[in-house]
Amino acid sequence: MRNKLGFIIGFFVLVFCLAVKPAFADSPRLIIGAVYVGSVNDYGYNRSFHDALTQVARELPGVKLLEAENVPESTEAERVMEGLVQQGAKLIFPTSFGYSDSARKVAKRHRDVCFEYAGDGDTAKNFGVFFGSTQAAWYPMGVAAGKMTKSNKLGFVIGLPIGYALGNVNAFQMGARSVNPKAQTVVVVTGGWSDKAKEAGAANALLDQGCDVVGMHVDSPATIIQTVEARGGMSIGFQSIEARALAPKGWITGLGFTWAPFFKDVAISVMAGKFSAQAVYQGLGQMVAIAPFGASVPAEVQGLVNAAVTKVASGFNPFTGPLKNNLGNTVLPPGASVGADQMGNMNWYVDGVIGKVR
Amino acid sequence: MTTPLVLGVLAGAVLSGTSLLYATLGETIVERSGIVNLGLEGILLIGASVGFSVAAASGSAWLGLAAAAAAGGLGNLLFGWLVVTRKANQLASGLAMMFFGFGVSALVGAPYVGAVIVGLPKWRPSWLDGLPWVRSTTLFNYDLLTWLAVPVAILVWWALFRTRWGLGVRAVGESPAAAFAAGRNPAVLQYQALSSGGVLGGLAGAHLSLSLTLTWAEYMTAGRGFIAIALVIFSKWHPLRAIAGALLFGGAEALQLQLQARGSDISPFLLEMAPYLLTILVLLAWGGSRRLAAPASLGRTFYGSD
Repeated sequence: MRNKLGFIIGFFVLVFCLAVKPAFADSPRLIIGAVYVGSVNDYGYNRSFHDALTQVARELPGVKLLEAENVPESTEAERVMEGLVQQGAKLIFPTSFGYSDSARKVAKRHRDVCFEYAGDGDTAKNFGVFFGSTQAAWYPMGVAAGKMTKSNKLGFVIGLPIGYALGNVNAFQMGARSVNPKAQTVVVVTGGWSDKAKEAGAANALLDQGCDVVGMHVDSPATIIQTVEARGGMSIGFQSIEARALAPKGWITGLGFTWAPFFKDVAISVMAGKFSAQAVYQGLGQMVAIAPFGASVPAEVQGLVNAAVTKVASGFNPFTGPLKNNLGNTVLPPGASVGADQMGNMNWYVDGVIGKVR
Repeated sequence: MTTPLVLGVLAGAVLSGTSLLYATLGETIVERSGIVNLGLEGILLIGASVGFSVAAASGSAWLGLAAAAAAGGLGNLLFGWLVVTRKANQLASGLAMMFFGFGVSALVGAPYVGAVIVGLPKWRPSWLDGLPWVRSTTLFNYDLLTWLAVPVAILVWWALFRTRWGLGVRAVGESPAAAFAAGRNPAVLQYQALSSGGVLGGLAGAHLSLSLTLTWAEYMTAGRGFIAIALVIFSKWHPLRAIAGALLFGGAEALQLQLQARGSDISPFLLEMAPYLLTILVLLAWGGSRRLAAPASLGRTFYGSD
């Protein structure tokens, strides 16, 4: 009996050694922790971060990635980030806007751990902020939609009417107007970033009311793109350029995030002990990329869209006065403009958008 | 000019009302047997998640549908074991089942998030295709679950009010002791009510993931299970009134989306509230009516007849 017990204990010691040994054998030079609000397979926002960080871990030797999915924007996020620090993470990416408070608290407690938060607000010595400026990038998407539409009614589904989403809609409408004076953009707000059944309902409502191209700003574009595709409409994707797989017929083009180059630079600077916290906002050509065109998009339209992409990437800001809102009031006098850093404060729809902010 | 709006709201009401109706019918049967299942939201999630996962893994939405129905039935049987056999408190057990459903559905669905599935096939009778307004909406282009929603409601009504089994279920809901004295077995009837209600709840969830959205996402039911529980009260525990209730609530959601799509001047936040406002109004209007009251023993545990 005693013999048997000794054998079992010995067995577990052996298993323990085998399990622990590899960890000692190649201890990584940097452990990156990532916190996601959703699943990394969402064809959307979370996947864009996952793809970029996986690429960084692949390309930089000695970098290990720890990921936590479906982490709610509550104190739970704080607990998860503490856990990542305990597991040895020296660089943490809190990738959702609502992680701000939790991330800042954990960063204060662990000065030796660097944070790159996908959002805005103050930076600290070990706390950088970054985001992709998508607003101007929606301008070429509008060019594509304005040329492809037959009904001149474009649809746009947004989760909540925050400034960043309004900016996307406005640039989209201005791009469409630049090639199609009759183009209008109809906005439907679902009331949340991930209410799938309402997203399906919103897409159906837009098609019922005569829109034939639908764009969106929600966490995962999958439901909207598939609903539009099933009814023979066209869509413009957002968040991850992989979403084109969901619409073999109706896909026009879309925007996705390309974080990898920035993340790689940050990882290298942390390993070299030279992390410097900054607020980094990059647009089309850097953190934002356009997706390949769908098969139905004629070469002429592709040419116009590519020209608009070049224009935006070289500094054109569509949010430059004179601009009127959709109530007929001047919101930007001639010469005034709204930069990417003030986009969160936008509270109006540009002329030609059918919708109400609040 | 208002024709597209009316048609759009009708179309949207049917689409989002389908899952509400199945869930409401399931809960109606369960409550008629004297049991409140607050875990309905969890059952819906389990149905949505299991249905989607099986459909993604097997490539067949029909298999997914069958699995969702089975999973919903099993979920409610587990709840039955708690509240009928173990005689646990129904409200507490229901809430526990809801959180259990959150967890199980997330676990089952996790590997299949982002999977692309072929949803339940849809048919529109060809003679309806000729109508100009119909073709430009989703009207009458339905999957099997939507086509069968009203027939199933009639079936549930017939089973509850025109069969010996239904009489037994309702008797248990009113007075289990009396039913017991009359030679019926309350526990068996409650288990039967729970399993059939669970099957309907599983189908309700499956309609969301296998037909309406073609995706699985954590907590994608977004409170529809609770709306269905409110709808049971709204329809006063009657399967046929549940049809009207589901259409009305589905219509309230569709109306706010369609009004926005038409560029209405009404605030989206105000429109967002409409379905809940409706619930409160109905509870206010019918709250005290004696004739339309709940089953007398609803929520009470039957400890046996001494």
